[in-house]
Amino acid sequence: MASVTSHLSVEIINPFIQSTINALETMAFIKPAIGKPYLKTKSNPVCDVSGSIGLIGEIAGTINVNFETDVICKIVTNMLDEPHDEIDNQVIDAVGEIANMIAGGAKGRTQEKGMDFNIALPNVTVGHKHSHAFPHNIPVIVVPFTTEQGEFTVEVCIRKN
Amino acid sequence: MPEMKVLVVDDSSTMRRIITNSLERLEFNDIVEAVDGSDALNKADGCNLIITDWNMPEMNGLELVQTLRGSEAHKSTPIIMVTTEAGKNEIVDAIKNGVNNYIVKPFTIDVLKEKLEAVLKIRLKDV
Repeated sequence: MASVTSHLSVEIINPFIQSTINALETMAFIKPAIGKPYLKTKSNPVCDVSGSIGLIGEIAGTINVNFETDVICKIVTNMLDEPHDEIDNQVIDAVGEIANMIAGGAKGRTQEKGMDFNIALPNVTVGHKHSHAFPHNIPVIVVPFTTEQGEFTVEVCIRKN
Repeated sequence: MPEMKVLVVDDSSTMRRIITNSLERLEFNDIVEAVDGSDALNKADGCNLIITDWNMPEMNGLELVQTLRGSEAHKSTPIIMVTTEAGKNEIVDAIKNGVNNYIVKPFTIDVLKEKLEAVLKIRLKDV
């Protein structure tokens, strides 16, 4: 984590980690285990569906939350108390809402530390084993999480203004 | 449960479903859904409780509240804002504009029940 924290402080990344856990624990009754964050240069996580949300203000950039099918289907099944086993419109909408909750939760936690930002409306991308490209001048931190159904990742590409 | 028509406003079908499911468990049976502020204004007639998101396309939740508070029909209708905007500044802004209570996503059904009881001044069934 030392190389990661040299680029962006834990103080800024932690709100996104905490709000991810809080969103899934509260709405889907799933407590994901956090893995070791790493810089994206070493590995490029792939997924089947992802939610992206833009941030602008004293902190600016993008966060993505990336899921494989089995993981997001279990999450949405729990959230809505009805079975979902494929990426349908309801699952796509839920991914956007999860991205929204992660960014919104992080915003509240970040404000407590004296920094503020606004969040845009989320975008959702669907595609088997897709990944994301980011600007080269901003480090991207990948935070892996594990659930019983598999892993998902949150990519944080932000800078302080 | 007293006769009550509830308007749920959110651009996310997931969140509308979660709120509606929770309301039904709390024995609210007359629920109308709207996808943004503009849609809500067309469906607000006869509603005596409004639960709205903040960030929505077309007309956002704050603009919706301002418009409703300017109308005779809804100047005192209970309004709860349910949103990811978890900052203190946003909460203060919402209350100043006429929101009666505020729920930050993610939330549990217990939190929704507590806020409903506070706003409606009634006791709801335990869930």
